[in-house]
Amino acid sequence: MLTFFVIIPILLAVLIFTFSAKTKAIKIIAIVFQSALFAASLYLVGITREADVVTFVGSDDLLGIVLRANSLSAIFVLLTTFIFLAVSIYSYSYRDERDARTFWFLMFLLEASFIGLFLSGDLFNIFVLIEVSTLVTVILTMYDRKNRNIFHGKVFLLTNLVSIQFYLLGLGYIYRITGALDVERVGEVLATLDDRNLLLPYVLIMTSIAFKNTLIPFFSWTPKVRIYPKSPTVVAAVMSGLQAKTSLYLFIRFQEMFAPIAAYEIFLAIGIVTGIFGAVMAICQKDIKMILAYHTISQIGLITVGISLTNGLSHVGGLYHIVSHAMFKTTLFLSAGIISHSYGTSNVYEIRGVMKRMPVIGIATLAAVLGITGAPFFIGSVSKYFISYEVTPLIMAVTVALSFGTIISFIKFSSIFFGHSVLEGSTPKAELCKTIPIAIMGAICFVGGIFGTQLIYFLLRYNVEIQWWSYVQKSLIFLASAGVGYLLYNYVIKGNAALARFGEMNFSFRSICASMGVFMALLLLLMGR
Amino acid sequence: MGIFNVENIEIFSLILFFISFFGLITSKNVIKSIIFVMLIQTSVIMFWLKLGIEGNPTPIPPIIYDPVLLENIEYIADPLPQALTLTAIIIGFAVIAIVITMFNTLDRQYGTADWKKLEEAEGN
Repeated sequence: MLTFFVIIPILLAVLIFTFSAKTKAIKIIAIVFQSALFAASLYLVGITREADVVTFVGSDDLLGIVLRANSLSAIFVLLTTFIFLAVSIYSYSYRDERDARTFWFLMFLLEASFIGLFLSGDLFNIFVLIEVSTLVTVILTMYDRKNRNIFHGKVFLLTNLVSIQFYLLGLGYIYRITGALDVERVGEVLATLDDRNLLLPYVLIMTSIAFKNTLIPFFSWTPKVRIYPKSPTVVAAVMSGLQAKTSLYLFIRFQEMFAPIAAYEIFLAIGIVTGIFGAVMAICQKDIKMILAYHTISQIGLITVGISLTNGLSHVGGLYHIVSHAMFKTTLFLSAGIISHSYGTSNVYEIRGVMKRMPVIGIATLAAVLGITGAPFFIGSVSKYFISYEVTPLIMAVTVALSFGTIISFIKFSSIFFGHSVLEGSTPKAELCKTIPIAIMGAICFVGGIFGTQLIYFLLRYNVEIQWWSYVQKSLIFLASAGVGYLLYNYVIKGNAALARFGEMNFSFRSICASMGVFMALLLLLMGR
Repeated sequence: MGIFNVENIEIFSLILFFISFFGLITSKNVIKSIIFVMLIQTSVIMFWLKLGIEGNPTPIPPIIYDPVLLENIEYIADPLPQALTLTAIIIGFAVIAIVITMFNTLDRQYGTADWKKLEEAEGN
């Protein structure tokens, strides 16, 4: 049954490519297919609660290709199908350009490769699917012919190509040690082995995955390319909402697989630094899409902190934050696309009065902003609550600092909501098909906060409870840091030239490669003691 | 055979890996970087090829059907690494082709193959 999750998007892609996207009928078919896939993945989440689902392609021994869905991968499949459903509804009314069918062909191919990545039970297939998704991603980000960004696309592709060689080399060592490539089998064998043998493959694979994850030495290149303001809105939303999650998924899987030697503390520290650095970089940007892009890195740091903390609830919080981050970041990118299109600029200092000009989108965006900053009753507050549940005071302080950074960067972002719009005249007619997905996801940001514990039980099979007193405490911390952040932003950060220059910082291709080597050497040194 | 023994492929591949990595860090020219990326791929593929004949002094290719071979099954080379390296080569080829296409477009636009000049031309 799992085969269909991968095949249906490919079939859809071929269908669209053959019959062209010019007719509305094809788009309706796409939406119907996506809804069916979404329903199927809901069903998948339901049945993986009882037992893992395994499908063998080819022979049913370890030599065949295995697709395996456990409760973790089912959530990621659910997220993928949901976001692609939202995106295909969003782009229903696109005026068809000449190359629309190639665009949608690539988009659904990307969906297939993501789902394949989440379901694959074979380490080599994971390599193939990473490569396919990287390639498709690069082509998609440069899709807009008028203003494409080939230079950063090329740096992105080349650096990814280098980093994947580390993965492949590590895979070679794994194959030599265990004689298998199946995830479960490799995990079983690794658990019985001496730590010394595992060190080199672990370091090689983690270098590659940390690079994909944009952890600290590698932070600079991602937003420039991935979510560069010039790439199409839909692509930017998928990149930040989903592509960032694929590497997090791999990170979780490999940490589980290498459980005997997994370096939780090191990645905890890296996550903290990444989170703070991403937030600082986000504060320094002036393009709304760039603020969102750098903020994604900060959130990845926070999620890394959550899933590297070994107590159960923080792990759950980290996983739930993946879901909530996918929700609010997709909302924000889609609405940022509408806003910047409507205003003709994406400079945060020039956009004003979004609330008055497009109320529905404004409210949904505000819900997403409240979700992302962790305001009480919104989705982010629940996940942040569990990440910082029963942790040491140091980690507690760090999470507060991280959400403080988030708050400041979104105070900057929120200035677009109010004030007087420079654009006078009639407000443009809101397109229904663009508004619906944004409104729904904005609503989820709220509902996911109110029914947080129920949603966690449904998705993650964890029975958790929120204690009201500590939740109120967290809310008070939020309010206090929002107040301080507002003052700090308005009196210190706003218009600070040094910070703006800091935000321009960029790595060249050579220094990215060098940082890969340094990261690997440091990890090897720290773990080989 | 001397040092060019099959058994030494692994060491050679690792040396090549780090040489080309050093090249990636130091080369100032885009074309050179692309060549070093291709070299780094080759080194990893060499490493994988060694895995198929590990601990097997006289490997036999697993492609010829011969009943006699089935009796000395331990001498048959492991076919999995070969199949996987083929896939890796094809993917690498596709990606490098796209990288070169992108470089071609950039070269027409700016007329340079220098990383620094390209970065300046892009405004960063």
